[in-house]
Amino acid sequence: MWHWSAPLWLWLLPVVLLPWLSHNTEKRIVWSALVPADPISTSLTLLIKGLGSLTLAALIVGLAGPYSPEQITERQGRGAEFIIMLDRSRSMDEAFARQPLNTLPTERKPQRRKREIAGEYLFEFIDSRPDDRFAYLMFSNQATQLLPLSYNKTTVKAVVQAGRLGKGLSKTNIVDALTMAAEMYQGEPYRGSRNVLLISDGGETLTREEEQFLTDLYQDMQLNIYWIYLKSNQGMSLEPGDDEPLMWSDLPERKLHESFNRMAVPYTPLEAGTLEEFTAAVNAIDREQYAPLIVEQRLPREPHQDIFLIIALIGSGLLFVSYLYTLIGVRQAYRQ
Amino acid sequence: MKLNYQNRIALTAGLMLTTFLAVAAALWLPKIDHAVEVSDAMIVLDITDSMNVEDATWQGETLSRMDAAKQIARDMLQDMPCGSKAGLAVFSEARSLILINPVEVCNNYNDLTNMLEMINPPLAWVRSSEVSKAVFTAIRQMRAVDPKPSIVFITDGHESPPVHPELYPKFPGTPGEIAGVLVGVGGDELMPIPKTNEEGEIEGVWDVNDVMHQDVYASQRGDLAEENARKPRTEHLSEQKRSHLADLANRVGFGFVSSPSNSKAIFNALKDKAETRLETVKFDPYHWFAGLALLLFLLVYLPYSLLGGRSD
Repeated sequence: MWHWSAPLWLWLLPVVLLPWLSHNTEKRIVWSALVPADPISTSLTLLIKGLGSLTLAALIVGLAGPYSPEQITERQGRGAEFIIMLDRSRSMDEAFARQPLNTLPTERKPQRRKREIAGEYLFEFIDSRPDDRFAYLMFSNQATQLLPLSYNKTTVKAVVQAGRLGKGLSKTNIVDALTMAAEMYQGEPYRGSRNVLLISDGGETLTREEEQFLTDLYQDMQLNIYWIYLKSNQGMSLEPGDDEPLMWSDLPERKLHESFNRMAVPYTPLEAGTLEEFTAAVNAIDREQYAPLIVEQRLPREPHQDIFLIIALIGSGLLFVSYLYTLIGVRQAYRQ
Repeated sequence: MKLNYQNRIALTAGLMLTTFLAVAAALWLPKIDHAVEVSDAMIVLDITDSMNVEDATWQGETLSRMDAAKQIARDMLQDMPCGSKAGLAVFSEARSLILINPVEVCNNYNDLTNMLEMINPPLAWVRSSEVSKAVFTAIRQMRAVDPKPSIVFITDGHESPPVHPELYPKFPGTPGEIAGVLVGVGGDELMPIPKTNEEGEIEGVWDVNDVMHQDVYASQRGDLAEENARKPRTEHLSEQKRSHLADLANRVGFGFVSSPSNSKAIFNALKDKAETRLETVKFDPYHWFAGLALLLFLLVYLPYSLLGGRSD
């Protein structure tokens, strides 16, 4: 149905009767019986009055600004849906991938904070994926859904940018955040690949109950987990190595990794120890996630006033020609 | 002026021609670039416990300070002209956390208002409330944003722990480098403050023995113990701290608006101070030409007797 941008104009519509009431363009004569009966003239007069009414109506309707409102259609696209879970805990303020403490610094590299680097790459990733739907979940010890799943890239990017400012918050509470991420898909129809993209440098030991709970939830919602693990230390890896400090096997990130592996949910860990590895991790997701996806497309509002203006144009044009013709006729009559 | 028949016909033909031309102009004249002066705003909302007190007013209704702050923010988002940008931030502990960098208000209105709904006291990460320091961090973080938005900081001004009147937190900047306004919410009576737990649920109220009643410097002075004990212990209660906010605004070169009834007062306080830029808006002049066409066309049919009569 049509909407009106200025419906008050429609109150003027009764003026379309004016051409039938006004006698401005008629000649007053002494006795109407003196005028010869001429059916063509009579119908022409009716036609001209009708044209006047039509033009008036078209102008008024055009001014009222009819439009079809914004519409949402669906099309087949390629891409995926992502919930970005960016860790805002304080540890993310620390330097990204420093050298192991037992190595001698050979060259001085500028140290950059993990949060800044993560933000930068996310920004590019969002830009490079036209059809994807993104949501943003901020978490530290509390999880907060900042943006629901949406196609609006401007706001997602602005939130990612804001994530780079200032300092981090307190600790990390991943279970709450993962639960909330899954709940964000609740009530959404299945459109295509659904992903939770966790970007964090730390982990948490999950209890068996928590693992079971998350497994059920994630299977139910058909979610994949991606974890871009930002290393603070270049030597450390999520997979236990042979020759490594004993302490590392108890690190919370190892525990979380083990939990994710135990859960029967598609899970891809992507470890980023250097900027190159980070780029590779982001590109890996980019390559994998091009499954068919139903994409909602917003058709902008469509104005319809032009058709009415064209009617008014034709109407006033024809009336001008007819009055010009009358004028020439009258001039000749007066000259005689 | 008397018009004879011949002139009336000539006039009608002329009016029809001008109508025709006006309609053509309405249809085909290109859109005009129209420059509008806009400015950006970063809206910071206080989410500390004292914001749960229900003593604020908004357009005749009594509601919690948090809800009043959100109403003010919502009103601002509504009234900002298209092309200007708005961002959102929250304040807890001793700093402002930017949630979203400024984005254009009209196209992103839905996301901005949704996010505003998400802002709630449970978001707070630490249960302290150092307003002055939070204002300073907001200013510092806005330096990195381009173009620089003005800061609209909505708070009740409750400092916990209290600040020492002379040993005030130092403002590491020049007053007025970032334009801004402090917006005070809350009533004038001292009210008990609902206490939230780690999960952000309200559990009773802050008790007189739960909070510091002296600033850290005074409380460490053993020699002042007696004098401190005589001072009224009211820091577990809260009202809108007008004088403190006015003083703080003065220190950072901000304006101060207390309990505004709409966003106009805030925009007025920002006027002349805020960094503005020109945003080009496409303006379609079709209304003007179509309106002119309608007026001319109606002239044809209006009874001339009203305008000066006719003669045949």
